[in-house]
Amino acid sequence: MNAPLKTADLRASERFQMTAHQDGIAKGETLLAVENVSLSFGGVKAITNISFDIRKGEIRAIIGPNGAGKTSMLNVINGFYHPQEGTITYRGEKRSQMRSTDAARQGIARTFQNIALFKGMSTLDNIMTGRITLQKRNIFWQALWHGPAMKEDLEHREAVEHIIDFLEIQHIRKTPVGRLPYGLQKRVELGRALAAEPALLLLDEPMAGMNLEEKEDMSRFILDVNDQFGTTIALIEHDMGVVMDISDRVVVLDYGRKIGDGPPDEVSQNQDVIDAYLGVSHD
Amino acid sequence: MTQNHASLDTFPKYLLLNAKRFATRPAMRHKDLGIWQSWTWAEQLDEVRALALGLQAMGVRAGDKIAIVGSNRPRLYWSFAAAQSLQAVPVPVYADAVAEEMAYVLDHAGVRFAIVQDQEQVDKILSFREKIPALEQVIYDEPRGLRDYDHEHMHAFEAVQGLGRARLKEDPALGQAWEAGINGASGDDISIILYTSGTTGRSKGVMLKAVSAVRAAQDTVAFDRLSERDEVLAYLPLAWVGDHYLNYAQGYVSGFCMSCPESPETVSQDLKEIGPSFYFAPPRVFEGLLTSVMIRMEDAGALKKRLFHHFIDVAKQHGEALLEGRNVPFSGRLNYWLGNLFVYGPLKNTLGFSNIRVAYTAGEAIGPDLFSFFRSLGINLKQLYGQTEAFLYVTCQEDKDVRADAVGPAAPNVDIRIADDGEVQFRSPGMFSGYFKEEEKTTETMTPDGYVKTGDAGFFDKDGQLKIIDRAKDVGRLTTGALFAPKFIENSLKFFPNIKEAVAFGDGRDKVGVFLNIDLTAVGNWAERNNISYASYQELAGHPKVYEMMAEHVAETNRKLSEVEMMAGAQISRFLVLHKELDADDGELTRTQKVRRSFIAERYADLIEALYDGSSEKYVETEVTYEDGRKGSIRATVQIRDARTFPVPAGAMHKEAAE
Amino acid sequence: MSPEFLYFIETVINGLMSGVMYSLVALGFVLIFKASGIFNFAQGVMALFAALTLVGLQTGQVPFAHLINAIFGTEIHHFGWELPAAVAIAGTLVVMVAFAWIFEKLVLKHLVNQEPIILFMATIGLAYFLEGFGDLMWGSDVKTLNVGIPSGGSFWWEDVTKTWAAEGSDYFGMYIDVLDVYAAVIAVILVIALTAFSQYTRTGRALRAVADDHQAAQSVGISLRSIWVIVWSIAGFVALVAGIMWGSKSGVQFSLSLIALKALPVLILGGFTSIPGAIIGGLIIGVGEKLAELYIGPLVGGAIENWFAYVVALVFLLFRPQGLFGEKIIERV
Repeated sequence: MNAPLKTADLRASERFQMTAHQDGIAKGETLLAVENVSLSFGGVKAITNISFDIRKGEIRAIIGPNGAGKTSMLNVINGFYHPQEGTITYRGEKRSQMRSTDAARQGIARTFQNIALFKGMSTLDNIMTGRITLQKRNIFWQALWHGPAMKEDLEHREAVEHIIDFLEIQHIRKTPVGRLPYGLQKRVELGRALAAEPALLLLDEPMAGMNLEEKEDMSRFILDVNDQFGTTIALIEHDMGVVMDISDRVVVLDYGRKIGDGPPDEVSQNQDVIDAYLGVSHD
Repeated sequence: MTQNHASLDTFPKYLLLNAKRFATRPAMRHKDLGIWQSWTWAEQLDEVRALALGLQAMGVRAGDKIAIVGSNRPRLYWSFAAAQSLQAVPVPVYADAVAEEMAYVLDHAGVRFAIVQDQEQVDKILSFREKIPALEQVIYDEPRGLRDYDHEHMHAFEAVQGLGRARLKEDPALGQAWEAGINGASGDDISIILYTSGTTGRSKGVMLKAVSAVRAAQDTVAFDRLSERDEVLAYLPLAWVGDHYLNYAQGYVSGFCMSCPESPETVSQDLKEIGPSFYFAPPRVFEGLLTSVMIRMEDAGALKKRLFHHFIDVAKQHGEALLEGRNVPFSGRLNYWLGNLFVYGPLKNTLGFSNIRVAYTAGEAIGPDLFSFFRSLGINLKQLYGQTEAFLYVTCQEDKDVRADAVGPAAPNVDIRIADDGEVQFRSPGMFSGYFKEEEKTTETMTPDGYVKTGDAGFFDKDGQLKIIDRAKDVGRLTTGALFAPKFIENSLKFFPNIKEAVAFGDGRDKVGVFLNIDLTAVGNWAERNNISYASYQELAGHPKVYEMMAEHVAETNRKLSEVEMMAGAQISRFLVLHKELDADDGELTRTQKVRRSFIAERYADLIEALYDGSSEKYVETEVTYEDGRKGSIRATVQIRDARTFPVPAGAMHKEAAE
Repeated sequence: MSPEFLYFIETVINGLMSGVMYSLVALGFVLIFKASGIFNFAQGVMALFAALTLVGLQTGQVPFAHLINAIFGTEIHHFGWELPAAVAIAGTLVVMVAFAWIFEKLVLKHLVNQEPIILFMATIGLAYFLEGFGDLMWGSDVKTLNVGIPSGGSFWWEDVTKTWAAEGSDYFGMYIDVLDVYAAVIAVILVIALTAFSQYTRTGRALRAVADDHQAAQSVGISLRSIWVIVWSIAGFVALVAGIMWGSKSGVQFSLSLIALKALPVLILGGFTSIPGAIIGGLIIGVGEKLAELYIGPLVGGAIENWFAYVVALVFLLFRPQGLFGEKIIERV
């Protein structure tokens, strides 16, 4: 028998890393802080005085009954809505008025409750669009078929192939996404968000409308993304079982107010939360 | 390459030879990150050597068993050769086997090492770790998700190869020693142990000697004139004899290039991109292809549809004659040429069949129409009959002597005889040397004079081609005395595209009853066209219109049975459509998708009782296993119908007297 | 070959050539329609405007000379220099891009998320404005445009085809305008370049993404407004090419803007969203028109070219409203 193997040598290197949006924030420190935020639409309050934070590297769930203001909250973080009161601090900088495309440029990627993919484009092209903010060469060089612009495109293609491999969707690479079943579309949408190599990934009900098997697949992908790339994830989800299984910390909203915040097991013991969920339905 | 044919008696010896004679020709391809990567034979030798030297350092010795689990990947194929080069014995295991099945095989074979594809397989092995005390180290190909696992007994494939490469760099003599080891190895060593999927009971480990395996492959490579210029796509289960023989063994002997699909789901696209020249698929794959082609044509425009059907008729008329080099009138040739331009060519291209020179099907009977369809497109599709115990080939058809209803004459150097009870027995170069650790079963299977009992009943027809009717032990009799060959009946039913699976019962009973599984794709499409809505397989299967359709199919089958004198007495009298699809995970099918009749009979005893007691419906609850191993249950009330039967014609000429 | 057959071939070739011209205009429509859902009524006028600008720059005309003269009583008309064609084309391109940018800033930006019909009305307004603006800037007289593309019949081709005719027939050879051949080649290059651009570049993908779903496009960081500027610039570029071709052929004058009307039947035939559709549609209309003129024309007294395309379009609307290549219109309940 030969000398024993050194275990450290035998771990294979990961083939792909997400490095586009490095910000020097250490794991566990605050990545995004929401402070006293209120949002209303024509006098109707959607969010009232909510504060919470998202730490680098965690999976943060936002839960609550229907109409609790979860999606509004996500839209505020994403810059789709502008809160009337309160501040949002992202990567240590207080955020001012922003355009909806700015979030993407700052490394915030998201998926939608009702899938918003480019239906006529292939899976590959859809995911490629996720990298648009990372591509530097301008239209002039692209139009001239300039060498470096083409080379840049190839590099992005390679990164996208890693994502395709990661999500196990090789077989639908060239299929127009409009023809895919729902579960796969959800996966492609996650792929497009991942392609931006986001510092913060927002998932709006990633498992809505899925069967049990698809939910398990999706949970596995979310955990893998978090584990392998260290991506910070904030997600909205209805399925309490899933939330308790995969998230590190949970914020509970009800009627636009925060009623609970903490680790899943703690939150599930919280009387207000239990009431909100078991009490009279809001619908 | 006949100069040293006799001295080439192991696959590693062929590896060394091929690295010289085909050094720059491709040996292996694999699509990774959307791009086909390829390895020449010389590079393949490097990869195998690096792995072997790494394994050696980890303590692999001659005679060790090494489990190989996963889908078709270059690294797993290299593992075969690397193990064999150290005179260790590779034991491939079906990647979709549930933990329990896998634990049995790994323990029975006494594997010390396991080389697996990914986290899924690692998890499976870890779940029954304590049941396989012999297992020391696990090597995985894909690191994904395994980073935080305890790496004391677990290693990345590339790290093992890295270890091998480092050793070689330090001491180049190791490489020569390794080659010397290969050249000094004996062909009498066991080359591989293949666990049969087993239609009954536990699977058995079929041991094959290196020299037998090589000789068998040499014969068929010569028979089909395979060479280094051929291409195959390796997509069959790694643990199945068919894959190991057709792709690995024939590949090493002939030097052809083996391509591995990107993932199991991409096979059809990869097939199109590779365009193999040698191809094997079980009949159900061809059936699926035909069904999908027909469905696509249903949705096509009127002109396209007309064009398609016109030229398919032309192909039916002339295609097979042209393929076999028979005389065809000029107009027929012209028409076929046009058809090739507009229909067959594009169709073959879509299916990935453009370059096929030789294709085989086997495993079960193939419908004559299905068979002719593919042959008429100009695809040289043939049949073979084989067994794991023979290292595949027992019979195979010659290029110009192909039929759907028989499986061909004996393969080269194979002796076949039919025993008194109708059982087919053979002696062949590739014949196995015994079941691993199961002496008594080996003796049961062999005759005293050294023939292997196939367990299949059959006969040679007047052209000298073998016809298989059924499993020898499954051919039974009704209480009326009529001969009952369940498989024959099942296959007749499965000729209908709407029927995916059929199970016939009747041995020792007074009449024949069958279970049917509808084909969800075909029937689902039909339902869509006829505005029949359904939410699940169960609902569609129980739909009255589906039952009507099935009744017609059963009646038609009975009409066919009534025309065959031997079978006319055992027509189907009652049938039902099962409320769930038969599934390998529930043990109803084998891993190679054959029905396990006795298991099904036991599992659905209630339904069988209902078939015979005359009731018209029956409530049942069935336990099912999901992919992750959890169990659930399905409840249903299953309808049972009487089938229309046909009188046994007094003279064979008399037709259609029933009304 | 008999002369009749050769006439037939000649007609088909000429039909294809003029079809290419129709395709060029239709292409501009398709690009904008795909990316923003706007039916750009002003596409024809944009071609006219581009051609006017090109001639103006080339000949060194003073813009707004009329206006300046009227106000200040001066009599300026030309700067007195002439620009090489290439420089003038580049200059015109800059003007078209600037125009796209201004249009987005002043108009489109304020009409985000409005009904398509509103946007359509905006383009009608644009068409009238641009027409008047062009007149004011460059004058309303008919101008000749010459950027160095040869024109006139090809003698070589006449000689070649003459030998094809049967012995003894008095066939004089085929007439093909060299300008048409250049136009066809340029159109093919343009289409290939545009297709490649939209398939394989980042901006191309962004264009398709915006065409598909605005909200999703924004969420991945695509700015709708810059995409619109790009789309209108490209449409301006296509208009310039069409303007050069048509202008070289029949002079730069107001009637140039009416070719837009010819593009309508082409779009109905090919489908509003398909680039290949615009090409094939244009070719079919071109060939159909010429053949109809040749064979049916004598029976009904000629001038078929004026209405043939519209009849074909009408028939298509009845039987295949989505066009040859358009997306099937399926109403889901």
